[in-house]
Amino acid sequence: MDLPAGTRNFSYAEDMTIFRTRTQKFLLFTLAAALLTAPLWFGNYWLGVANLIGITIIAATGLNILTGYCGQLSIGHAAFMAVGAFTSAILTSRFEVPFLIALPVAGIVAGIIGVLVGIPSLRVKGFYLAISTIAAYFIIMWVINHWNNVTGGFMGMAVPPAEILGINLTTQSSQFYLILAITAIVIFGAKNIARTRVGRAFIAVRDNDLAAEVMGINLFNYKLLAFFIGCFLAGIAGALTAHWVGFISGENFSLTESILYVGMIIIGGMGSATGPIFGAIFIRLLGEAVTRLVPIMENSLSLPAGFATGFGPMLFGLVIILFLVLEPRGLHHRWQLFKASYRLWPFSY
Amino acid sequence: MSELLQFVITGITVGMIYSLIALGFVLVWKSSGVANLALGQLILLFSWFAYGMLSQAGLPAYIGLPIVIIFSLFLGWVVERIILRPLIAQPILSLITVTLGLSFFLEGLVSFVWPESQATLPRLFPQTPIYIGTAVMGQEYLWAAIIALLLFVLLTLYFKYNKMGIAMRATADDQKAVQACGIPVTKIFSRSWMLACVLAAVSGVLMSSIGSINHGLTSAGLKSFSVVILGGLDSFGGAMIAGPIIGLAENLGGGYLTPLTWPGVREVIPFIIIVLVMFIKPYGLFGEQRIERI
Repeated sequence: MDLPAGTRNFSYAEDMTIFRTRTQKFLLFTLAAALLTAPLWFGNYWLGVANLIGITIIAATGLNILTGYCGQLSIGHAAFMAVGAFTSAILTSRFEVPFLIALPVAGIVAGIIGVLVGIPSLRVKGFYLAISTIAAYFIIMWVINHWNNVTGGFMGMAVPPAEILGINLTTQSSQFYLILAITAIVIFGAKNIARTRVGRAFIAVRDNDLAAEVMGINLFNYKLLAFFIGCFLAGIAGALTAHWVGFISGENFSLTESILYVGMIIIGGMGSATGPIFGAIFIRLLGEAVTRLVPIMENSLSLPAGFATGFGPMLFGLVIILFLVLEPRGLHHRWQLFKASYRLWPFSY
Repeated sequence: MSELLQFVITGITVGMIYSLIALGFVLVWKSSGVANLALGQLILLFSWFAYGMLSQAGLPAYIGLPIVIIFSLFLGWVVERIILRPLIAQPILSLITVTLGLSFFLEGLVSFVWPESQATLPRLFPQTPIYIGTAVMGQEYLWAAIIALLLFVLLTLYFKYNKMGIAMRATADDQKAVQACGIPVTKIFSRSWMLACVLAAVSGVLMSSIGSINHGLTSAGLKSFSVVILGGLDSFGGAMIAGPIIGLAENLGGGYLTPLTWPGVREVIPFIIIVLVMFIKPYGLFGEQRIERI
């Protein structure tokens, strides 16, 4: 359906290919080449932004699987990132576990906590679930902020840089390649999960969980699996944050972040593989624009004192509200419309 | 012993303010099915607005407070009209997220207009403390409890006898049937938002006249979620009973558990209660468990 005129699928393998046409392959190749050589083009500052975007994409993809595909709303996503971050930090700094083992362990620990938090989802949904994830957020963060001899409490803890096969990833560019690789794997994996039996089951649960159960989908397994995958990815993202920033405390994982992740998947378009990518890039670049523009605006126009602190939240709130009111299907939908018009050009349909 | 009495009295009176906030939530939830997660920020905004009226503009309380109420009515109307009306019949996820966006916006607005991190309202109630047995209580607690009770009685009467109140209850039951009866459902939605905002304004002024106005007020909104969860999302009586329970648990737990655990346990007790309720009786004490059909 999404193929340009003249392209036909003659086998199932062709039908399932993600990058089907020559244009798509060319664009993929260009994008890969551009990303792989990015450290040559970008300064350290923008590489840092790219790293932040990559980590955000991983976490947002996790939330997208949980919320966008399976319909289980979570407003405590940052807490699972925090669990992953501190797990990896403690494993690598206290027990000297290699990074490549600590990273999946961080994901698994976050996933298990996520499953525990997700247990009420078997009986309740919608607002009840949203509130219980908020409650879980506060309880988890309270434990992290006060368990002084393990997590360092409010003081936070230093995290050694990631080390792979004896190479210390200390520079932004080496971190960039690590985060890029993991992000690519996560996006590819998420795209494929959505097309398998599991993904279809998630979508059935999202659309109507009673009907799904009647069709023979085990709600217990699939809802908790969605929580596990979503929180696993959050844990991975958290661990990457920890090793990237080098110093973490509870403040890195605020409730605001959690809400922003929900905003990202809404802005990007829920239930699509590209949605979280668009959403993460949009929100992070917007945040970047705010941090860079606000001082300039403050200096040139004599603005009231509260402008610097108030402008960011107001803008983010406004963006989320406007997207929900005006474009509830998100940027992903715009992208689809653009692709369709590109394919059909010069005709309109 | 006097310590215990102190905790109990403070807990119950503060809990009644939580009930008031929770009533505003239940009102909107019942009539329009929107979960208003911006409650804490609304409270913050109204408290600061009251500060602006009473302290910055220097208006006397009998002019300033009615202005706060009128402002809250107006804001409730605006929020419903601009933000929530276009989202009628959208999935619950969008409705929750839009109120989260609203909470961001309001929080930004507050720090934009009032960059101070803390302020106190001029005293609205007499200062002399009251002695109950061995416990000492500030008089504002008592006034807050009385006002909360009064509002609860008024609301109950409103829902029982006023035509609009009855229409609101009917909307909670079945929106389509109400529309078919010729009652404008959108008007009901906007009324319920206006009422909820007034409740938020009253409880904001009460909370900030007890303590001070700061960002901690938003956590009162979060605590009121544990009130509605414990009482049942669609039960006014439940909210009224659960509020003092949460207040008691918070104060007693904060008083007696802090030496045993880490500091700040007081702040998480409402959330622990939420988790417990979710596991044991997810629809709360008085909530109605709706039977779903495909």
